[in-house]
Amino acid sequence: MQQEEDSQKDVRIGILALQGAFAEHQIMLRKVTSKRKIVIVLVRTQDELETCDALIIPGGESTTIALLARLAGLLEPLRDFSKKKPIWGTCAGAILLASGVENAKKGGQELLHGMSITIERNGWGSQVESFEAPLEVEGLREPERPFHGIFIRAPVVISTNTSPTDPPIVVISRISASLLPTSQTVVPLDEDDTDPRDPRTVVALRQGQHLLTTFHPELTKDNRFHEYFVTECVLPSVPP
Amino acid sequence: MTTPAHTPGGSPLPVPHGVGNPSGTPVVAPTRSAPHKDGGNSSLGTFGVKSGLAQMLKGGVIMDVVNAEQARIAEEAGACAVMALERVPADIRAQGGVARMSDPKMIKEIVDAVTIPVMAKVRIGHFVEAQILQAIGIDYIDESEVLTPADDEHHINKHAYKVPFVCGARNLGEALRRISEGAAMIRTKGEAGTGNVVEAVRHQRAVMSEIRKASVMSEEELYAYARDLQAPFHLLKETARLKRLPVVNFAAGGLATPADAALMMQLGCDGVFVGSGIFKSGDAAKRARAIVQAVTHYNNPKLLAEISEDLGEAMVGLTIDDNLKGGRLASRGW
Repeated sequence: MQQEEDSQKDVRIGILALQGAFAEHQIMLRKVTSKRKIVIVLVRTQDELETCDALIIPGGESTTIALLARLAGLLEPLRDFSKKKPIWGTCAGAILLASGVENAKKGGQELLHGMSITIERNGWGSQVESFEAPLEVEGLREPERPFHGIFIRAPVVISTNTSPTDPPIVVISRISASLLPTSQTVVPLDEDDTDPRDPRTVVALRQGQHLLTTFHPELTKDNRFHEYFVTECVLPSVPP
Repeated sequence: MTTPAHTPGGSPLPVPHGVGNPSGTPVVAPTRSAPHKDGGNSSLGTFGVKSGLAQMLKGGVIMDVVNAEQARIAEEAGACAVMALERVPADIRAQGGVARMSDPKMIKEIVDAVTIPVMAKVRIGHFVEAQILQAIGIDYIDESEVLTPADDEHHINKHAYKVPFVCGARNLGEALRRISEGAAMIRTKGEAGTGNVVEAVRHQRAVMSEIRKASVMSEEELYAYARDLQAPFHLLKETARLKRLPVVNFAAGGLATPADAALMMQLGCDGVFVGSGIFKSGDAAKRARAIVQAVTHYNNPKLLAEISEDLGEAMVGLTIDDNLKGGRLASRGW
């Protein structure tokens, strides 16, 4: 009898709680209903990380989070984690997940190299350029209802660079190219403002089990993104 | 000729959305009169992105710096933002005179030196200094009692700006008055430039105690309490429901050690400002990094002991009494 009950073991989702908006993710994740019980773990140490089946890296300052991760001896464990288990990075978390970063702090900054993209920090400029915009996202529940994107000193995806052995990158949301920072004119923009060639319009993407958003679903009251991460990325990767 | 600070506007007061908000129902504030990037599909400078940036600073340390070199030390030490100013509060105290907004050139040099958000201070009520800081693209404005007030009756109408504001408060009423004027972040006033944390503790305890009282009140009692606190009723009601301030709340004023920072975190603050405490100490880089770690691991005394070790000399602390040089800055503003 006991064994049968244990056959559906809890799914443990960690939230990296070194700095930033981790409490907001915790609140949103609590509201996700799932077939399997979800246990939320605030991760500050390697021991806590090792108990997790998946991880969310929240928004905050990527330089601060990377330093605190190094001081807590978490950088290498996080890199190992990214090779085996799903991670979702929002904003600063997206920067940490990248393999390359532009506009890094002087002397460079540490990354996890979990996804094959290069990202530019503060791609839109300073806080006065922060904005909100409605997004169409592929795969969310009620896809016809736009998701409210909150972009705060947000990063911009500059390029994707998958090698043949990497899992393919799947774009799940783009913004209108007319919203792109005017200071950047790397790729000429189409009349049709969803130029598929321009990586800078990508604001949400998946690669393998990982999920990346340059905006902040945790600052809305819409938990469809958290639900998406649980059902599409986490549950398929955790054996019952 | 537009003067942002005096735009009559008349738009409804946005209900700021909370953090660590137990009921988890953040409200996205109505879009303010911000220019549109694409003719109506997106909006800049909403209350959502203003208070949202403060949420990204949570669990972090914001450090006072007076030049690009100090700003780089702060960034390397893990600061989540820096506050650019000409003189740290301890020097303002010692030197006296009128303290004003810093030279925009110096602020721009700091902006160019680091990738983290840069804040700068304006005098209470000096809405033109605020217009100037917004024009140079600063990330956050501190309408601060540390500078000499420009208006002893009015604070800035902060709704009129795309750039967010942080303001000091000694109690719940003062915090809610600032939020109703548009502040997207609150901090304790403490007593800046003293290296003495007692006033910051007093202010944080006052806010928390008043929130606890409000949280068990009936609606009738809340109306009366709003009158006592001189606070807008709807913000008091929202605070009572959330059981916390509806915006991010940092500690500031007199913090000098990792233990001070952890103390303020355990008292319920979301993060800390450290002013004179870092660059007036013996080993700034080391102390800065220790305070950053203390804010993350504030509930882990064993780790706090390790990071508090061998930090060199802390800044000289001052007793806060009637003889305090430079006077009590916290009593500026209302």
